[in-house]
Amino acid sequence: MNITLLTSEIAIICLSLLIIILDLLLPRFETRRSLGYLAAAGVAGVFAYTCTQYGVSATVYQGLFTLDSFALFFKQIFLLAILLTLLFSFDYVEGLAKYQGEFYALLLLAVAGMMIMASANDLLTVFIGTELMTVTFYILVGYQFNSSKSSEAGMKYMILGSVSSAVLLYGVSWVYGCTGSIVFEQIAKHANTSLGMLFGFGLIVAGLFFKMALIPFHMWAPEIYEGAPTPITAMLSMGSKVAGLAVLLRMVFIAFVPMQAYWGGIVSIIAAITMIGGTVIAMWQTNIKRMMAYSSITQAGYMIVGLLSADASGIKSVLFYAMLYMFANVGVFATIIAVKKHHGSNEIKDFSGLAQQSPLLAVVMTVSLLSMAGIPPMAGFAGKLYVFSTVIEKGYLWLGLLGFVMSMISVYYYLNVTKVIYMNEPCVQKEFIVSQPLRIAALISLLATLWIGIYPGPLAELANTAARSLSIL
Amino acid sequence: MISLVHYLTVAAILFIIGVYGVLTKRNIVTILMSIELMLNAVNINLVAFSRFIQPEVLTGQVFSIFTITVAASEVAVGLALLFRVYHDYDTVHIDKLNRMRW
Amino acid sequence: MFNEYALHHAWLIPLLPAIAFVVIGFFLRKSPVLSAFLAITMSMVSFILSLGVGYGVVVQHITVEHPLIDKIPWVDIAGLSINMGMYIDPVSALMLFIVTLVSLLVQIYAVGYMKGDDGFGRFFAYLSLFAATMLGLIIAVNFVQMFIFWELVGLCSYLLIGYYFHKPSACEASKKAFMTTRIGDFGLLLGILLLQIVFGTLDFAQLTIAIPEYVQQYGTGVLTVAALLIFAGPIAKSGQFPLHVWLPDAMEGPTPVSALIHAATMVVAGVYLVVRVFFLYSMLPNVMLIIAWVGGFTACFAATIAITQQDIKRILAYSTISQLGYMMLALGVGSVTASMFHLMTHAFFKALMFLAAGSVMHGLHDKGNIFEMGGLRHKMPITFAAMTIGVLAISGIPPFAGFFSKDEILLAVSEVSAPLYIIAVVTAFMTAFYMFRLLFLVFCGPEKPENNPHEAPSTMKFSLIILSIFAIIGGYIPHVYHFGEWIRFGDASHEGLNWTIAATSMVLSVLAMALAWLIYGSGKVSPDRLAMRFSTLYNVSYHKYYIDELYLWLNYTFVRGFGKILYWLDLYIVDGIVNGLAKLTYRMGDELRQWQTGYLQQYGLILFGAILIMVVWLVITAPISMASLRGGAY
Repeated sequence: MNITLLTSEIAIICLSLLIIILDLLLPRFETRRSLGYLAAAGVAGVFAYTCTQYGVSATVYQGLFTLDSFALFFKQIFLLAILLTLLFSFDYVEGLAKYQGEFYALLLLAVAGMMIMASANDLLTVFIGTELMTVTFYILVGYQFNSSKSSEAGMKYMILGSVSSAVLLYGVSWVYGCTGSIVFEQIAKHANTSLGMLFGFGLIVAGLFFKMALIPFHMWAPEIYEGAPTPITAMLSMGSKVAGLAVLLRMVFIAFVPMQAYWGGIVSIIAAITMIGGTVIAMWQTNIKRMMAYSSITQAGYMIVGLLSADASGIKSVLFYAMLYMFANVGVFATIIAVKKHHGSNEIKDFSGLAQQSPLLAVVMTVSLLSMAGIPPMAGFAGKLYVFSTVIEKGYLWLGLLGFVMSMISVYYYLNVTKVIYMNEPCVQKEFIVSQPLRIAALISLLATLWIGIYPGPLAELANTAARSLSIL
Repeated sequence: MISLVHYLTVAAILFIIGVYGVLTKRNIVTILMSIELMLNAVNINLVAFSRFIQPEVLTGQVFSIFTITVAASEVAVGLALLFRVYHDYDTVHIDKLNRMRW
Repeated sequence: MFNEYALHHAWLIPLLPAIAFVVIGFFLRKSPVLSAFLAITMSMVSFILSLGVGYGVVVQHITVEHPLIDKIPWVDIAGLSINMGMYIDPVSALMLFIVTLVSLLVQIYAVGYMKGDDGFGRFFAYLSLFAATMLGLIIAVNFVQMFIFWELVGLCSYLLIGYYFHKPSACEASKKAFMTTRIGDFGLLLGILLLQIVFGTLDFAQLTIAIPEYVQQYGTGVLTVAALLIFAGPIAKSGQFPLHVWLPDAMEGPTPVSALIHAATMVVAGVYLVVRVFFLYSMLPNVMLIIAWVGGFTACFAATIAITQQDIKRILAYSTISQLGYMMLALGVGSVTASMFHLMTHAFFKALMFLAAGSVMHGLHDKGNIFEMGGLRHKMPITFAAMTIGVLAISGIPPFAGFFSKDEILLAVSEVSAPLYIIAVVTAFMTAFYMFRLLFLVFCGPEKPENNPHEAPSTMKFSLIILSIFAIIGGYIPHVYHFGEWIRFGDASHEGLNWTIAATSMVLSVLAMALAWLIYGSGKVSPDRLAMRFSTLYNVSYHKYYIDELYLWLNYTFVRGFGKILYWLDLYIVDGIVNGLAKLTYRMGDELRQWQTGYLQQYGLILFGAILIMVVWLVITAPISMASLRGGAY
């Protein structure tokens, strides 16, 4: 048994515990910013460590936990996401009334959950990872003690999340009953198409769709995104969604390979509904976080399109898209936090005149939004090109066309924000403060988005390696 | 003789009662209890499958221990959040939690 | 050692100016000194690297048949993989040398010329961007890279022509340039797509092998279409008839820009493109014939216009069009050597003349009409010397650079077609005439009292002197060192001068000079009386054959007429549909968002409803899916 494969997860959890302890030791009225820096440094270290692990392919605990390039790719997405989120949320956390230190500790625990999900090779580990992530998120969503919206969001998320977990578990129990195993490879070996198996499979997939907030499993997302503290909204949209995607990919391509013919129809319809619904509702939003909720719903729709091609190139396109989606999100949420600090609210009209107050953030926001809309030369264009060219090759031309049309429509509401940023005059005349870490996070996201867009080669190569390590088909 | 089907039926009924409770009860505490019912249905399922399909391996039973543990932590978090909601809204009525929409 | 390094890091040559652009654009715009310093340093390093590349090409015996190709995958989607990289052979090495040299000198010159301008930093940022894109175009390994940089170069040209954006004429000119070249770019794009469809690759090296095989198997039908479409790009970019109209207007940009972009480098991109894909054109004699006639006609046509123009930069612009026609003519008759040779010498002497003209205008406070100048040789001796060298070079007087290259072209043409040879010789005569006309009117004769000229600052003089040296020796040295053995397509062309042809053109040049002196220098014949005598001819030439007016008229009638119809269609049919769709999505969004009531249990209901539908769907479709799976598998 090679316990070293778990090093990065163990390191993150230890880091989290260390922060809790230090939080107790620090004087009560001192700011917890130092703990934030510690967390960021630790995460950066773990990220550097994961870079050395590419090429490994091994399992521990009788195949319950596996480490391959696929898992690593996702872990790096999560680590980068949390690192950048930490960078842009120091100020935000300092504005919290209580328990600043634990905020960092809990965030790290959520990331540990995501990392476990990426490596999970059996239903139990999937369950543990998912619950570690979501239960931590229940707490974090309700973390803003001076806002009733936050507690409402936390409560709603908790109820709906637990229900979806129960549904997922009920599905797990049926799949276990029909195959006699919970390890993915064994499930694939004993898979049949009995009623119970189909039932269980459907429930599991539904539970994961809930995590990814695909329409019609999305109803929770807008409220929770709006009510949660902004760094948590960012992590929900980057982490929770992508982690669900990681599990879904590994599960359908290893455990449920024999059922491929079944889920093609469902996935294509849900992807279509998600793309349409997310886009058209987003047009009506006036709150930027709520708009981003619908936008992220739409983006998840684009991502699962890649599942349909059911081969390495399709998975590769999904991985590629997940990475660039993460970078674009960092840019947007960093800007949202800066604007929120300035205006105290999250309405789109608060972005008026951002171009004059902070040209850098205006550019970052514009580039990130255009990347999500898929305008060249931003990264999103390359991502959409990969995703849709692979599915069109598999005969889903209608889905490709629909995706194209929806991208065009989505430009409308993304540009709406840009218009406000550049055309309107600032409504509050006071100095616009952008802290240094936030500026760094925004710059990284900007450069990454442009770099991937102009020269997608290396990332595509990496995604390709990761996709092939899933050793399927 | 009680067979696997009986266990599964009980579990299914339990699950459906849980779903019904979640969808109709207005008191958040009751909703949390209904969620517990759903999770218990899962436990029954797991243990029954484990006992009848592979009596020599305890996979399902171990799984149910994990489920119970996680369910406990979920409820703990849920009740903590309930305190906050009560503090902010002076009620545990789910329909009053309605400040954000559209 | 160094040449080895330079050869394998040739991608640095475009990258360095690009870095300069980014740094200046983002950080140094406000600081003129630093931005100029950075831009010039980067250009200098690029220039040194390209010298290294040139040296490496010679030492390592890289020939046009065995180029050095280095590339990395850029995009790799199922079925389509595109590379970015560098294609180093003697031709591209020569182009690298020319472009880096001229852009370095022009930047040094611009330090003096643009001094005190508000947008000094911006100007250098644009110049750097231009250099980067042009150099990227030169080392392109495939059509895609070529096209991307081709468009970027066009963009830079647009930015630089419209540099004085507060002047309406500059804005108009930049728009005109952009639109006109877009027409050609569209053809180019279509041609490239056609090649991609036929061959499945756009890589130059692969096409070089594939095209002859294809021609043997299937003939030249499709390729002729592709080649003609591709040629549309060069017609627009290199100012060939009938898309030459943008080039004279482009003189609205600052003079250093005219020298760099609209004389020495960008406009020859079209010529370079044809050279780069000569493996295609050499297979198609009919297309070659068209290229030759387009080139020959443009050369002669532009020369006749230049004779009567009065603005110093416009004369040079028409001269540029005419000389580009010369290069195209040389390509059309199959001589890459002659064309590239003339491209090089032309870059030297035309850049020199533009810079000298800039120096004149700088000295006269932006006055451009040559009839208002005169006698400047006393006050501006260096400029005078530089302009004289340029004029002698372009007129083909030995031993200046133009003599050798022009002779090479005339020789190549004379071997192919007699009518084209006559056109070329007549053009050469006219070229010498209008160039000496310019020289005499500006620098000789009595000084005009209202002008208060002063000599250019030292940075400008430096560039003039260096370019003068190149304009003097730039023809003889390559001639002696067997230019044709390196820069060629197919077998090396023969060596040596053909003295009959050389003597003819020389005599004609001298005659033209004498004629110009007679009319404009000595004042024996009045130019006004001549213009009266040949008033029709004069007017036609002076108004550039009314081409601009024709285009305006065409634009007015057709575009307006069509426009009205289209407007109607647009208003009632297209808009109707689009607005309807937009309204539909908008309403749909409104309907759908009403579902988001905020009541948790409704969400739960929808959630369970969706789960139920999904599971039922799975179970119901199971037999169907099963059958399709079976059908597929067995």
